[in-house]
Amino acid sequence: MAKITLSNIGHSYNKDKDQSTWALKPIDMVWESGKTYALLGPSGCGKTTILNTISGLITPHQGRLLFDDKDVTDIPTAQRNIAQVFQFPTIYRSMSVFENLSFPLVCRGWKADKIKARVHEIAEILDITDKLGRSAVKLGADEKQLISLGRGLVRDDVSALLMDEPLTVIDPQSKFELRKKIKAINKINNLTVIYVTHDQYEAMTFADELLVMSFGEVIQRGTPEQLFEKPNSKYVGNFIGSPAMNFLPVESRSGEMFFGSTKLQVKDSKGDLKGKALEVGIRPEYVSVASAPGENVLEADLLGHDDLGSVRVLKCISGGAPISVKIPRSQGIPASKKLHLKLPSEKLWVYQDGNLA
Amino acid sequence: MKKGYPRFFLLPGLILLIAIIIFPLLFTIRVTFSSWNVSQSGLNFIGGENWSEMARDVRYWGSLLRLFYLSFLTVAIQYVLGFAIALFAWKGIAARRFFRVLWLIPMMTTPSLMAIIWRSIFTEDIGALNGLLNRVGLDPVNWLTESGPANFAITIAEVWQWTPFMFLILLAGLLSLPKEPFMAAAIDGASAWKTFARVTFPMMAPISIGAIMIRLIDASKIFDSVFTLTRGGPGNATETPAAYIFQRSLQDFQIAYGSTLALTYLILAILTLTIIGKVFARLSKPKGI
Repeated sequence: MAKITLSNIGHSYNKDKDQSTWALKPIDMVWESGKTYALLGPSGCGKTTILNTISGLITPHQGRLLFDDKDVTDIPTAQRNIAQVFQFPTIYRSMSVFENLSFPLVCRGWKADKIKARVHEIAEILDITDKLGRSAVKLGADEKQLISLGRGLVRDDVSALLMDEPLTVIDPQSKFELRKKIKAINKINNLTVIYVTHDQYEAMTFADELLVMSFGEVIQRGTPEQLFEKPNSKYVGNFIGSPAMNFLPVESRSGEMFFGSTKLQVKDSKGDLKGKALEVGIRPEYVSVASAPGENVLEADLLGHDDLGSVRVLKCISGGAPISVKIPRSQGIPASKKLHLKLPSEKLWVYQDGNLA
Repeated sequence: MKKGYPRFFLLPGLILLIAIIIFPLLFTIRVTFSSWNVSQSGLNFIGGENWSEMARDVRYWGSLLRLFYLSFLTVAIQYVLGFAIALFAWKGIAARRFFRVLWLIPMMTTPSLMAIIWRSIFTEDIGALNGLLNRVGLDPVNWLTESGPANFAITIAEVWQWTPFMFLILLAGLLSLPKEPFMAAAIDGASAWKTFARVTFPMMAPISIGAIMIRLIDASKIFDSVFTLTRGGPGNATETPAAYIFQRSLQDFQIAYGSTLALTYLILAILTLTIIGKVFARLSKPKGI
């Protein structure tokens, strides 16, 4: 495992001079050894570009890449000791499962008996020992993906494990099993893991730290809790959490926030804010249905609800602003269409021009 | 629609098939049991005389053996060269578009033009090759009038003309390969040779087999280069079955005997190519159960 440092790394596929169009805008970042990171963002936001830059499949347009303070920018992929699992299961079609797993070791000139022992050890962890003699091409997508992962794990020189949306093509049941397996393996191997996904649940359950990306930039970096509790922008608030964060347009009058005529107490208020787009944000999980008017209580109309199994999402509207409320199933759907919604002050955040004030 | 109608729609195809394949084939079989030749035309019946004559025809079996050697050797060379050139073009060398067109020129050349080109090179007294040998102080070689060199000349001409076909098919195959296994091989630390041997080559197996089979089918009919360069000579040292059958059937007008040779040749070609196809399919099967 290794500490990975991106020093002013940027990349443009068409070598454009205008940095605003780059797939990865210049970035400075350090990834600590032994930690698990998730890169989260919509398609085309630069997640895979970062991964491929680290593995050497892409030479960055500018900047330096360091592994444990050693510059590896110009070192070819084969010598970087990176393991990478791709979105689509990548196996060597002509080889058996055993040969697939042993290939990285054959490339490193290991002796046959040592290879055999190591491959069996990894196959045991991945629970595919009984499939070692089978033709890799005949296996299912989830088993093929395990082989891809196994090829990374079988080596004893891996600096970092990069996973590029490895569960995208896996069916939901296998996805759950595979995710469990990957987590267990990471614990055993204590690798530096960078996990690319656009599935926030996958990212939040998997990683120590999350990096939310948009248009080639990292918008916010933090623990899953930090990103959920206090998103630094409307973008992150909308991207993390389901349903997305509620944003209500507010006015600041003498240091106090007003939603229409309702005064809203905000615990972490920054005083008198001036800005065209002043909003307060709150997670649907923290909005509750109140029995009577009171402090930080809005009147709202119930438009309908979504049934999500153990929880329900009430779709409400107040003063023209939509508000989602997540309630446990046991609470039942309110009988009246006129609701009072409580917005706890400690869970309200003020956003100015789209960013946390 | 009535039940039998769909079968009517098959009729045009069936009639065409019967007219151009089944009828000539059956007719040829019937002809082999006749003595149809330049002086006696028509379908009389002489039993298996033509077949027993063929069994004793050393020249015919010799030409078949020669064909084995020529077709396997030329196709093997074409495959290796074609693959190498395709790899260069695939990996991207400078001016690759220009080279792609350049490499296709031999395949687009008509056989008669090819004959002129290669005869001008191999002709013994005024040919370019002997001129070159002379300049470097070597003795001239009887390229077209001596058995070994004549076979060599035909091999070269065949390779020159058909390597571009291999190149074209294999390049198309290489360009259609997925990128991920190559990325995985780079990550796994594979050298250039290991990547070729364990990734590129196995992935190219189905395309390679297709290209080799097409070329073998074509090479089993080698005629143009033999006829234009050596006319089967010296003696019959470069004679292939196609050239021999042409001579017996259409020059000596021994229609019945020529038909016997042609029919045997067809059966042997089908059998051999089927076996080769099966062997290739088995060899290219992924490892493991």
